[in-house]
Order: sequence, then structure tokens, then C-alpha cells
Amino acid sequence: MASIVAIALIALVSLSAALSGEEVMQEVYTRDSGNNMSANLVMTLTNSRGSTRERSIQQYRQNDSDGEKKIMFFLAPSDVKNTSFLSYSYADGRSDDQWIYLPALNRVKRVASDKKNDSFMGSDFTYDDMGTRHPSADTHKVIRTETIDGRKCLVVESIPKEAKPTYAKTLAWVVENEWIGLKKEFYLPNGKVGKKLEIDSYEKTDGVWVITDMTMSNLDKNSSTRIQMLDVTFNNDLKDSVFTERQMKIGPRI
Amino acid sequence: MRQTKSKLLVLTSIILTIATLSLSAKSIEFNGMLRDYLAYTFEDSTFAVHEQTLDLTLTGWGDNTHMVINPTIYMGDNQDLQLGIREAYIDFYLENADIRVGKQAIIWGEAEGAFITDLVSPRDMRSFILADFKEIRKGVPAIKIDYYKDAFTFEGIWLPKFIPTSMPGNKSIWRKDMNPPFDTATINIPTMPDANLENSEVFGKVSHFGSKANWALMGGYAFTDEPYVWKITPPVPTIDQEYGRYIMGGGSLSTNVGQTVLRLEAAAYFDKPFAAVTKAPVPSATVEKHHQLQGLTGLDWDLWGMQMSTQYIFGYVHDHHDKLMEQGKALKEFSHTFTFRVQKTFFSDQLAAKLFTYVETDPLNALIRPSLSWTIEDGVVLEGGLDLFVGDKDGTFGSYKDNSLAWMAMRWYF
Repeated sequence: MASIVAIALIALVSLSAALSGEEVMQEVYTRDSGNNMSANLVMTLTNSRGSTRERSIQQYRQNDSDGEKKIMFFLAPSDVKNTSFLSYSYADGRSDDQWIYLPALNRVKRVASDKKNDSFMGSDFTYDDMGTRHPSADTHKVIRTETIDGRKCLVVESIPKEAKPTYAKTLAWVVENEWIGLKKEFYLPNGKVGKKLEIDSYEKTDGVWVITDMTMSNLDKNSSTRIQMLDVTFNNDLKDSVFTERQMKIGPRI
Repeated sequence: MRQTKSKLLVLTSIILTIATLSLSAKSIEFNGMLRDYLAYTFEDSTFAVHEQTLDLTLTGWGDNTHMVINPTIYMGDNQDLQLGIREAYIDFYLENADIRVGKQAIIWGEAEGAFITDLVSPRDMRSFILADFKEIRKGVPAIKIDYYKDAFTFEGIWLPKFIPTSMPGNKSIWRKDMNPPFDTATINIPTMPDANLENSEVFGKVSHFGSKANWALMGGYAFTDEPYVWKITPPVPTIDQEYGRYIMGGGSLSTNVGQTVLRLEAAAYFDKPFAAVTKAPVPSATVEKHHQLQGLTGLDWDLWGMQMSTQYIFGYVHDHHDKLMEQGKALKEFSHTFTFRVQKTFFSDQLAAKLFTYVETDPLNALIRPSLSWTIEDGVVLEGGLDLFVGDKDGTFGSYKDNSLAWMAMRWYF
């Protein structure tokens, strides 16, 4: 018993000597994700009865010292086709700026940005899940190490600083030295797992680690959403004019 | 019979044109929407409207060009078959400019469900303001040039030929009774301006798109989209109407205030023509020009997963007097209208609940529009709702009190 405690203590000491939870999540946050990225997202929503619906989105992202710009063009289903969504996120922590182009209105409209916990297109992902949550929004602690698919992962517990969070805490399995998350669990205030993110496929493209297939399961609603990232490319020759009102109206003809 | 045949000929021509273009153009997409709409009016307990709509959109892409054709077909029990091309235009994309030539719907401003600076395209008021946003705007033949410089856009529009707002037909439940002395009058079809260069309309806009704010300044030399009375001929009054010129200048802005979006929009209409009607002893009319102001303040925010929006719309007519009339109704010196919208989705966006309300304060009257839409499967939507006109019968909405209705619709997007 004493030896088990000793080993556990040594393990904890060695972990804390290595990297703190904050440092791990900072590594995840600042991991090289390319100056820009383009991809086609196929989102498959499965409800509790097992019926599925599919959404298709073409997405472009650009990062600079000010923050991140992202534009999404909705390709399917037909009732949302030609809708586009543009967001500017800021490194200094300002609220995001977001605009939507609705072809029926033929107008680009600024939209309220307090959507972080809202469902993204009716899926099990929130807008927060789809973006990159700043590490300073939570307190982090490395609680153990585990191996997933032969890769050593640091399991990081993150507790939101906000007053009334949707989830009381999350656990993230982060591959050591690659700083990519392979699994995440979202815990409800009652201690049960509310949502679970599982990574089915990831790869290195243009020198950047990218998750190409993931599934978010909502255990509360018994629903799930799978996102497949197709045709992913990084560090493209993207002009600033891609992230403008003009491009929102033109559509994904870059 | 001959009319139906010619309409079918037009329809066939449209389909053949689309098919031919589909075969020849480089990159063609074909989309559309089929809708069946049924409305039940409470006052007379009848299915007052049962209408089918086919809205087709053919989009073609070249290397630096883009083409859109949007034919529409409306058919129903109590209306004639209506065929139309809502939009048909070609875009040319240059390095820093876009040129759009053809029949197009142009929408300006920040208002939702109100028309302040949004005066380039006339409206289709055949279903009052109950039609979809897309359908309420008419396409107009125009040449539009947008030039882009950094975050600024300079827009110039030329409409060679004036097109007025479409008003409800004689059989429509939306045809409004006019106030005396027009109620018993013979009303002639409004006189259209001659289709010449002098009578073309021009508009210009400078806009800025940025993180702090989006703003625009715009102006135009336009015709009144709705006609006004310019002559009353006794003894049984015969009413003659026309469209007149005025200059419009305005601006709009939207910005984030915390987590809320603030929208502002205002326009001044200079020397806008109105009818000044003397009712007794003998009805007569003269045309007077008055300055008019309209403004809007709007807020959009999210609360408990619901999208909320509210607007205050203000109107003022300079040098107002009691003889001024507009659309057969007394024109008010001041007008105050509020709108409120709340919507929320459920079950992974399959069910959407929405409430949109207009409230006019003087006289107090309102349009209350609760609705539900259920996405049965991708692209197939079942909808239902109420359009309740309440309040004073002299109000914009209360005057349609007898038209309060329940409706349902099925849409198929392809």
C-alpha cells in the first residue's frame, strides 16, 4: 500500500515538475494550426430515434496577430444553401464580431455574439466547441496520464471560471508533445457525463496536426453529431478579401 | 382560355431556356422551392387563400461572371395563374469591383420589416406584408456597380425605367377600402411616368464594413413607389393618380454594444409629393410637396437560447395639415411603431417557434404573428401560424381586422 502511495506521489511530483494544467492548455491553444486553413465539413446529426440529417459547409480560417477570421458557406441542405457566416475573434479577449448573410434577405446582418453555449446548426457541438476556447476561461489541472492508441496523454481537468457554466468541468486527453486533444468529457453539475467528444481520425497535413473525424455524443439527449473534415489544406494563399461582406454574398468561389 | 395558353407558352419557354442554359453553361446549379399555403380567415370562416408557389433559381458561373434567373409561378383557387421572373441578372467580377446588370432585387438598410432607406426596389404588397421577405421585394431592371476600396464600398445604381409597388388585386382580401371621398369613387389606374432617360432613377451609397461598426450613407433621386391622388373630377368623383419625384438621403449603422447589436437607420425624403384632399363641398385634390423623416432604433440580443429583437420606428411629416392623405388614408404628422421578435429552436433545430409583432401606438393597433415550423426532413418543412390584426380600425394593421387568419404551409426545397 505504501509503495502504491509512493508511486502515485512520484507520478504526481513528476507531472507537476513537467507541466502544469495551465501550461498544457496553453500549449494546446498555441499549437501550430497554420496561418490559414480551408476544409469541407460534413456534419451528420443523429437524433435519439436514430434518424440522421446531414449538413455540408465549406470553411476558411485565417489567423494573424489580431486574432482569427473565419468564414463558412453552407452548401446543404437546400433550405440553408448559400447562407454564409463570418466571424472575427480577437486575441485581446474582446467579444467576437459575427455576421450572417441570408440569401432570402439578400443582406449581410450583424448578429449578437453571445452564442458560445448555443448549439451550432442544431448539432451537439456548441459555437464554443467549434472554436478555440481561451485557456484563461478555465482553471486547469493535470490529474493523471493515460494511453490512447499507443499515445501518452495527459488528462487535464478544466473548471470554468464563469458564474453559471453549462458544464461543471471537462476532462481532456491531450497527447503529450503533440498537444492535440484525443478525447473530451463534459461533466454536468450532478457529476454525470453530459457530452463526450471522441476523435476517430487525425493526421498531419501540411505539417499541422488536424482532427479529420470526430463525434460528439450528447448522453443526456441520446443524440450525436459526427464531423468529417475533408480536403483540409493549410497555409494557402488566401487574400484578406475572402473574409469580407463581398465574399459572403458571392459564396465559396475563392 | 387564350390567356392561359399564352401563360403556358411563357412557362414552357422558361423551362426550355433553363434546360438549354443547363446544357451550355460552364457551371450550372438549379434550386427551388415548392410551397402550398392555406389560410383560414376567422371573420368569414372561409379558406380565403389556397395558393401554390413554385420558385425556381438557376445559377450559372463563369470564370469571372455569374448569372441568376429566378422565375416564379403562383397559382390558387381564387386568383389567376401568375408567372413572373423575379430576378434575371448577370454579374461581372473585376479585381476591385462588381457590376450587376439585369432585373435584380436591391435591399438597403438595417431595418427588419420596415422600409426607411430601403427604397431602391419597390415592394410586392399583394399579400400586404405577410409574404416571405424574399417575395416582398420586387426585382427591378437596373445596372449596379460596386467598387471596393479597403473596408469601403461605393455603390451606384441606375434604374432606367420606373417600376411601382404592386398593390392587391380586386379579388384580393388585402385590397383596402379607402376613406371618404374615395370610398364611392371611380379610381383610374395610376398614370405611369414615360419610360425615358429623364424619368430614370438613380441611387448611390457609401458603406463601411468593420469590426467596430458597419455604416452606410445613401441617397437617391426616385419616384414615389405608391401612387398619390392628383385630381378628383366630380360629380361622382373620378380619381386620377400618379407617381412623383423626390430626393432621399439617409444613413444606417450597426454595432455591438456588449453582447447586443444596436441598429440605427434614418432617412429624409425631400419635397415628397402627397395628395391634399378637400372633401366638401366638392371633393378636390392638389399635390403638395413636404419633407418627411423616418428613423429606426433596433436592438438584437440572445437570452436563454432565444434570439430577441426589438425596434422603434419613428415618422414625421413637415408642415403637416389635416388634408394630407396617403394611400386613401389620412397622413399622420407623427407615427410611432414598435416591433418585437423572439424565436427559439428545439430538437436540434427541427422545430422553430417564432413570434413577430408590429405595434402602432396612435391609434393603438397591432399585427401579431406567432408561428411554428417543423423540419420533417432536410429541405421539407411544415409550418403553421396565426396572423392576428388587432386594435383600432383606422390603424395600419387594425384596418385589416377582418383578415385575421390561421395558416399552414408545406415547403419543399430542392
